[in-house]
Amino acid sequence: MTTKAASGNHADGGVRSTSGATVDLRNLSRSFGTIRALDGLTLRLAPGELVALLGPSGCGKTTALRILAGFETADSGSVAVDGRDVSGIPAAKRDMGMVFQSYSLFPNMSALENVSFGLRMRRLGSAERQRRASGLLDMVGLAAQGKQYPHQLSGGQQQRVALARALAIEPRVLLLDEPLSALDAKVRLQLREQIRSLQQRLGTTTLFVTHDQEEALSMADRVGVMREGRLEQIATPDELYDRPATPFVAEFVGIMNRIPAGLLELLGASALAADLVPHPERPAAGVDVLVRPEGLRITASPSGNGIVVGRTFLGQLTRLSVRLSGDVVVQVDQQSTEAAGISPGDPVDVSLAGAPVMVAER
Amino acid sequence: MAAIAGGNLAEDVEGQIPSGKSGRPGVRQFPVWRWVILIVVGAYFAIPLIAALRFTGFSSFPQVVHQEGFSAAFELSVRLAVITTVLTIVLMLPTTVYVHLRLPRLRRLMEGITILPIVIPPVVLIVGVLQVAPGFLKSTPYLLALMYVVLAMPFAYRAFDAGLRALDLQTLVEASQSLGAGWRSTLWRVMLPNLRTAMLSATVLTVALVLGEFTMASLDLYQTFPVWIVAFDQTSGPISVAASLLALFVTWIFLLAITLIGGRGSRRKGGAEVSLFSVSRRNTGGS
Repeated sequence: MTTKAASGNHADGGVRSTSGATVDLRNLSRSFGTIRALDGLTLRLAPGELVALLGPSGCGKTTALRILAGFETADSGSVAVDGRDVSGIPAAKRDMGMVFQSYSLFPNMSALENVSFGLRMRRLGSAERQRRASGLLDMVGLAAQGKQYPHQLSGGQQQRVALARALAIEPRVLLLDEPLSALDAKVRLQLREQIRSLQQRLGTTTLFVTHDQEEALSMADRVGVMREGRLEQIATPDELYDRPATPFVAEFVGIMNRIPAGLLELLGASALAADLVPHPERPAAGVDVLVRPEGLRITASPSGNGIVVGRTFLGQLTRLSVRLSGDVVVQVDQQSTEAAGISPGDPVDVSLAGAPVMVAER
Repeated sequence: MAAIAGGNLAEDVEGQIPSGKSGRPGVRQFPVWRWVILIVVGAYFAIPLIAALRFTGFSSFPQVVHQEGFSAAFELSVRLAVITTVLTIVLMLPTTVYVHLRLPRLRRLMEGITILPIVIPPVVLIVGVLQVAPGFLKSTPYLLALMYVVLAMPFAYRAFDAGLRALDLQTLVEASQSLGAGWRSTLWRVMLPNLRTAMLSATVLTVALVLGEFTMASLDLYQTFPVWIVAFDQTSGPISVAASLLALFVTWIFLLAITLIGGRGSRRKGGAEVSLFSVSRRNTGGS
């Protein structure tokens, strides 16, 4: 079992910051019948790092988390914490805190009892349990709700109790299995900031599984995008957005326009940049350029190359949908002040504002 | 929704309370046709009981307990009820939990298997068992307890199944394990407290079944309470009917007490609302 940081600092709430563990998932594979949920996943989490696994449903992200937690076993590969193989260690002895997607509080226990459950399993004395559990509830802003039972708490409050409960055991690895997906937008936003702040303060190595890219990009140090059981790319949120490694990542993260390369001339670009061309001998044949909405520029023009077919007000920006020749519709983000005079049906001129993110085969 | 820190629960709860169709919150509509059905069904059950009460008179009740054989028969029935209940819970609860956790695909099969004792008449079961049971079992009334476990299976399974369906068992077990609890602690501290009402339901149904079962006990030649009532009927009709009514009332009181005790504890802790065959999860807060 991993050892706690003996000289950990006391964060508020009586919870010590931990040194955080290095987690290694090595070549994990797992099949369920004919479905290959994980296909040679390899991932390393540095101490104190928050890594988000992002991907569509069925991509294997939850399976990876459950294997790390000890709830599933891999068909092949191994899991190591601080270099020690924990593949054969049962979940109860892995010392990993986990917050689940569904409200997982024990209905028969009050919030305080829920938080102190893990401490009780570690045979801490009653007074110490009470002190630490109260401190944790205070830390998540629920000091006054200690005596309430789960059914008396809102969903957001329940997840905060669940977070306090997971942190109470001072885990060196924290696992978050879509903990915000059942919450409404406002609570989700507040809770994700709270989780991130606590995680950074306590230095707990954290694996966060989500299908919500905004959550992943805003909370994680690094984001791993998964597809069909494999890690397509793992990078910082900026890098993932600006320099995606594959067309799948490029299109999965953020909004992306896929424009046939043949239309480039129409958009004012004479040719593709040499480093973007997959087949220099036939640069425009069978390839699309991937451009983000902010990578396109739009100006009102009676003799423009497109017609506005829709507009969505996003606050500071307005997203305009423009139909180009060949029935290609692109999304263009424009400052709302500049887009104020543009309405659906207006002819506009769309041009490239910079280099495309990448070129992908069709 | 209340602010995330220091959220006001009242604010959270407000807006989740359905206001009702009439627009008058808190006033329940109870249409006339429901009263009609209630009165017809109530009369169907009440008239025979009232007739029996008129036949036997209240003075017969105190005499019941002084009749020859009453104590022995009642004691045997209670003993069988206790043994059957314990065996049923010990066998059925872990089985149902295991099916829910590990073999959820077998739930339909389990439902089918557990319904068999209702489909097969008790007389067939007991005659078959008496043919093959070893002598040492046939010579003891506790063979009946084993048979009653089989008879109670459909009711106990459904009570446990309903209780487990009301819980997100898989997540609770995983949450418990992730916090360091082994199987024993998980069972004792997480599962059983949350299945308390389901266990009470199973107990109520099993006890009611054992206290009222006649066919098997009669064919196995043991004088349980129902067998005693029938036998005593030959001697004194009014006292026999008084004994039947007494058995009925005792069972009702027992059911009511268990339901009230179980329901009160469960409601306080937000557990499932359990009536005999249905368990509904209490509304948990929204987001």
